[in-house]
Amino acid sequence: MRARIVAALAAAFLGLQLAGCGINTIPTEEERARAAWSEVLNQYQRRSDLIPNLVETVKGYAQQERDVLIQVTEARAKATQVKVDASTITDPEAFKKFQDAQAQLSGVLGRLLAIQERYPELKSNANFLALQSQLEGTENRIAVARRDYIEAVRLYNTELKTFPGILWAMTLYRNNKPMETFTITEEQMRTPKVNFNKS
Amino acid sequence: MPKAISLKAWIFLLGVFLFLAPGLSFAQNYDFPALTGRVVDEANILDAATKIDLETKLEDLEKRTSTQFVVVTLKSLRGRTIEEYSNRLFRHWGIGQKETNNGVLLVVAPNERKVRIEVGYGLEGTLTDAITSVIIQGTILPRFRANDYPGGIQKGADAVLQVLSGNPDQFKPKTARPGVFVSILGVLIPFVFSVPGLVLTLILLHFMFVLFVNIGVWLGLIPPQSKRKRSSWSWVDSMGGGSYSSSGSSWSSSDFGGGGFSGGGGSSGGGGSSGSW
Repeated sequence: MRARIVAALAAAFLGLQLAGCGINTIPTEEERARAAWSEVLNQYQRRSDLIPNLVETVKGYAQQERDVLIQVTEARAKATQVKVDASTITDPEAFKKFQDAQAQLSGVLGRLLAIQERYPELKSNANFLALQSQLEGTENRIAVARRDYIEAVRLYNTELKTFPGILWAMTLYRNNKPMETFTITEEQMRTPKVNFNKS
Repeated sequence: MPKAISLKAWIFLLGVFLFLAPGLSFAQNYDFPALTGRVVDEANILDAATKIDLETKLEDLEKRTSTQFVVVTLKSLRGRTIEEYSNRLFRHWGIGQKETNNGVLLVVAPNERKVRIEVGYGLEGTLTDAITSVIIQGTILPRFRANDYPGGIQKGADAVLQVLSGNPDQFKPKTARPGVFVSILGVLIPFVFSVPGLVLTLILLHFMFVLFVNIGVWLGLIPPQSKRKRSSWSWVDSMGGGSYSSSGSSWSSSDFGGGGFSGGGGSSGGGGSSGSW
């Protein structure tokens, strides 16, 4: 009976010690980073979904801008083709592929939004304005999601490499690899803002 | 440095880590104005009457719908884009209730000539990017261009209020948000349930904590009356046994500050839209 109590006390004590010295930290940070990653994917998907409508709308007013329209459609197709799964964030090559494809799409999208300057009718089209504000909003959400992801990955990678997390990383969580993070800045990613109200 | 000392120091650090690491947290330094009310006029562009009128309307909105709507004018964007600064400020203040994220922040930066409506996660469906864009382009910016800041802010806020009030789903009773008391309970309850282990564990941990502190003092790593890093919570503290611990709290200032008004802990993912004039 006494031995049991001692064992129970020892278990409680050990449990507290383990929880206190970070045995849970790596899995917790990992889940947080993965959740942040899902949000990034979610927002990129949202942007991808907006593009066909935008292309259709612009087509109606600016037939002669076929080059840009085709480029946008192609870049979107390419970005959608990049396979993304749970392993993407720990695979530098796959991650770079994903990042490059999205950056490419951001670039041509910026050009698509810029052509409106030459088409007053397009600029004042209600549908276009709504799409534009949605696209701008999505770009901003992507920026926020990327920032959150970068921060979550920073915490997670730091935990893997610093004491006391490194002890757990070397023993219990040997399969946990550091995650990749974005190298292109938000500013470069963001589509250029077109101020169409400047008088 | 002699080897023996460094070994001792290492053991000491190990001990400190075991006990304090989970509680250590470092406040992020970022320049934010204080949340002094529902209208924060840092740029000083609002007259008293407009301010009071706005405060009343915004307070009424929260009473009816639990939605928190804050209007802020900024002296400067601190070198950030309005999108980034607004989002960080929104999260720093925690506008909207924690469970529903129903917050709205109207940011006006007259010196940079930028305005933004930042929408919390929970209101993205009601106050869509397109709607906020229409409000900014159609209601706010024309008045700002005519240098009528109070008018633009007031009419813009009215438009947002109108959109928010048009949705019956938002008319829900205000949810109580967990305060300090609940947070303390959340720490205490697990201990209470482990009654057999409680007393002994506490005594042991406290004894070891004191021991480590003493070793630290002995090694000269801690000054005796120490000005140690604020620990966000050391449960030795909350048990009243921490004669050595500095006072500290992890509950954000927004729980206490704000002169009768404080953020509910809501968050935003960058919804809304911006404009410039």
